[in-house]
Order: sequence, then C-alpha cells, then structure tokens
Amino acid sequence: MDIFIAPFSNNQFMVNALLAGVLVAITCAIAGTFVILRGMAFIGDALAHGVLPGIALAFLLGYPGMLGAAAGAVCMIGGVTLITQRSRLSSDTAIGLLFIGMLSLGVVIVSRSSSFSGDLTAILFGEILGVGTESIWLQLGAAALIGILAFVCSRPFLLLSFDPEQAQVAGFSVRLYHNIMLFMIAATIIVSFQTVGTLLVFGLLIAPAGAGALLARRIRSMMAWAVIFGAVSVYAGLLLSYHFRLAAGASIILVATIIFFIVFIFANMRGCRPPALNGGRHG
Amino acid sequence: MRKIVAIALILPVVLGASCVRPPPSDKPSIVVTYSLLGSLVKELVGEQARVTVSVPNGLDPHEWSPSARDIEAINHADLVVQNGLGLEEGMLKALEQAKKNGVRIFTASDYIEVRHIGEGELAEHEEEDEHEHGHEHGHEHEHEHGHEHKAGAADPHLWTDPLAMKQVVAALAEYLKTNLGIDVDAASLQLQSRLEALNEQIHEIVSQVPGDSRKLVTGHESMGYFASRYGFQLIGAVIPSLSNQASVSAADMAVLKQLIIRHDVKVIFAETGTPPAVAQAIAAETGAQVVEVTTHGLPADGSYFTFASNLAHTVANALK
Repeated sequence: MDIFIAPFSNNQFMVNALLAGVLVAITCAIAGTFVILRGMAFIGDALAHGVLPGIALAFLLGYPGMLGAAAGAVCMIGGVTLITQRSRLSSDTAIGLLFIGMLSLGVVIVSRSSSFSGDLTAILFGEILGVGTESIWLQLGAAALIGILAFVCSRPFLLLSFDPEQAQVAGFSVRLYHNIMLFMIAATIIVSFQTVGTLLVFGLLIAPAGAGALLARRIRSMMAWAVIFGAVSVYAGLLLSYHFRLAAGASIILVATIIFFIVFIFANMRGCRPPALNGGRHG
Repeated sequence: MRKIVAIALILPVVLGASCVRPPPSDKPSIVVTYSLLGSLVKELVGEQARVTVSVPNGLDPHEWSPSARDIEAINHADLVVQNGLGLEEGMLKALEQAKKNGVRIFTASDYIEVRHIGEGELAEHEEEDEHEHGHEHGHEHEHEHGHEHKAGAADPHLWTDPLAMKQVVAALAEYLKTNLGIDVDAASLQLQSRLEALNEQIHEIVSQVPGDSRKLVTGHESMGYFASRYGFQLIGAVIPSLSNQASVSAADMAVLKQLIIRHDVKVIFAETGTPPAVAQAIAAETGAQVVEVTTHGLPADGSYFTFASNLAHTVANALK
C-alpha cells in the first residue's frame, strides 16, 4: 500500500497537487459534460489555446495572468460570434480562424519579448507540482461557482443540449443560455490554467466527461462518472509521475485518455449504445 | 473585431520592417550565438569586425529559436561563433544549414576541457538514492532514478568558468588570424590576463563561504563548471536536466526535497526558466530560501566580467 500513499503522506507538494487537481477535475466534469452533450469541444479547445496571447501580454505588462486570460477569452468568443453572425461561414471555420490567429499572436508576443519569464510550455502544461494554498482556495471557489451555475441552469442547459427548439418553446432564450454555457467553459479554463495549464484543463474537460457520457444516460450520473474518472486520472497521473519520473501534467492527461478508451471498449462489449449526442453545433 | 484581427496580423510585419538594418561595411561580420560569449568576442575583435549576437540578452539560449532575419545574418556571416554541446537547441537546424552552405563555424566547446554530467553529482545521487532505498521509506522506485539520468552527457555551461573562457579566447584569436586574417594578438593577451584576474577575484569572493555550506541547488544543471572550479558540491537541480526544456516530474521533486533536507541546503538558486511555483513549493517544504541568480545573460553594462563577479557575489552572499 505504501506505493499508493507514501508519495502523498511524505510530500506536501503532492497533497497540494492532488487537491488542486481534484478540484479542477470536479469543475471540468460539470462544465465538460455540457461541452460533450452540446458538441462544443472545438470551442473549448480553441478557448484553451486562444487565451495564450492574453496571458502572455498580462505577464509582460505586469497584470495577473487570469485577467489576460479573461481578455483573451472575450476576444475569442466575440470574434467567433461576430464572424458567424456577419458571414455565411459556419462556426467551426470561425473558431478555427480565431484559434490559430490567437495562438500565433501568443507565440509572436513571446518571441519578441526579452523579459518574458517562463515560457509557453509553462502556460500550456502548468505547474501542478508547485500549487500553493491560495490557488487551492481559488479553485474551490471556482468549483462552487460552476456547480451552482450548472444547478440553477440545469433545465435550460439540458434542453439546449438535446433539443434547442424545445428550449425555445419552453421559453428559454437559446442565445442567452448558450452564452452562459460559453461563460462557464471560459471561466473553468481561466481559473484552472494557472494551476494545471491550459492543455490539462482541456484534457480534463473532455476526456472524463466523454467517458461519463458513454456510461450513463442521465446527466447527473454522467457528471458523477466524470468526477470519478477525473479524480482518478489526477491521482494516478501524479503517482505515475512520482514512480516513473514522468512530467506530471502530461501523465494526468494520458491517464484520462486511457480511461476514456477503456470505458469505450467496455461500453462497446456490453453492447450498450447511449443515445446519439447532439454534435452539430460548435459555437 | 475585424480591425483588431487585421492589426494583430499586420503588427508583426510592421515591427519586423521597422527594425533598422545594420549598415553594410567592409569589415568582416561575426555572429555569436549567445550574449555572454558575444561580449568577450566583441572585446576581443574591437573595431576589426562587426559582431552581432543571435539570442537576445535575457532570453534563454536553450530554447530560443531564430527568426528569418537571424538565419539570414548567420548565413551571411564571415564567421559564426557557437557554444556547442547542445546549448543552442533551438538554432541547431539553422546552424547545420549554415555549415552546409559553407559558413565558417567556430565551436567554443571544442577548445576547452569538457565537463561531463555523471562525474560527481549524479553518481552521488545514485548512491544517495540507494542509501535512502534502504532506510526511511523504502521507496523501490528511487533505485531506478539513477539509471535514467543521461550519465556522461556533456555540459554546455562553460561560461561559468572564466578559465574555460580564457581558453576559448586564445583559440578564437588563433582562428581569426588563420581564417579571417584578423590580428587580435594584443587584445587576446590582455583579455586572457583579465580573465585570469577575474578567476582570482571569484576565488576571493567565494572564500567567505564556509566549507560545509558549499552546496548548490540550481534551476537546471547550469553551474557545473563553476562548482568544479571553485570547490562547490552540486546537490541537485529543480529541473534535473542540462536544459530548461525538460518538464518536472513528481519523482524529481521528491528526490530533490530529500537531498536538500539531508544535505541541509539553505538556498535554491532559481534561474531564468526555472518554474517559480515549483521552486517555491520545494522551498516551503524544506525551509530553504529561493534566490534569483543570473546564469545565462549579461547585466546592464553588457560585460562578461560583471556577469561572472555578480554570479560569484550572489552565490557567496546567499551561502555565507
């Protein structure tokens, strides 16, 4: 049993990483389930990368990274909305365009600055092994906020995910709740990137929720599975990093992905096919 | 929004175009890959050649990659002076290509006694790990750590030893005379004696550090030459790699934590590129203090000599 517990009981940094990671996993499970159900994985990915120039600029100008990330997310969502509304292009084209545009802007900013401490890898993969107590509290707050938001909006979100027309009939503004959902995803990414890096946030956003969606039919049990898979990924990833000298962030994402495929195989062997998910809309 | 996107796309082009090209001249042009070596090369050649440095001062030479303009400069240079031993990771392709195009390349590390990882600190890690293996927690995995280290990898951070730089200066002076027809003998002799004096000065500075505090924990494995020249023991690094590019694993952190506690290390020297949160977390757990040290860039006055004495002062003040 020692190999499962000792790394944590001997090292405070491992405990901090586990706490922060599990909180990120919970936040991501809630937001991620809607991402999966509503087919918004691409905008999630784009947001995770699109915040880079904002973060880089904020660091350069001495503002908190979260502020920059928020500005980046606003640009991203605003740009996508503008292009889809003012042209015949579909949202995935708009997302893709903004995505690469913002990403390259981020790289350009970093490459032109001589005072940039830290690098893109640190933003992408984060520093989960260096999580401090303040980050854990912040993460806890974010988890609570996202949880409350999802609970309050659960009915419109559900209708929006499965049957947007029905949502309109029931008197919910599709655009409003779509935007709230986008806000929820953006908030998850903005708060969590400092702790675990933007790529890890995205990994935890879709892999556990995807596995959960394969197993369950009801949205609550999907989320419950997603929380379990996410938390297990964080724990197992940290253990792997400890015992086999692997990069911590990447190990966690890898475990989450492997869990997804195990669940996928298991679900197929049992022959249970959950209802097809609404994957048409992206933004 | 369209406007913003347009500006975002055009901005880099404008920035690039507004950079002033150096005026063409008959002087031979020498491109040095990084600023610390560049500073010495400038002092060596004086007015006899135009010296430019590729990696902007302050940026990490390990991960910097050149722009099109930098590659142009490299390919048009009469001589490129590089460090070698994998320091210029991001420029590797560009330098290789330049060599194929017939550009002369002087590799500084060809002229010094190269230090290899595994002589000293890592061999010791292995021993230490096995020691720990037997006691305390009995972590089976820790036994494996030693094997994974790239024992024998050559350490590129030769500039932390002024006497190694002295050898480079002497060799470069010869090279310039033979290949570019530039005679810098007088400057070379003067520079060499100044580097010797610098060495004496650093010995003097670090003499305040008592023997049992002469232990270094650094951001990455960057101070090996300094340690072996001035009698310091290398305990470990936040990123146990010769470059900042590597990622931190929980295993590395746990091992470093144990090493710091066992050797009663008081200071973690953080460098450009050291993940700050990770260094802070180890410090918080061990009671060590994080001290910033510049190991890869020039100070404001642009002098290698100031760099080296600052380095020695930072180390000495933190450890004495």
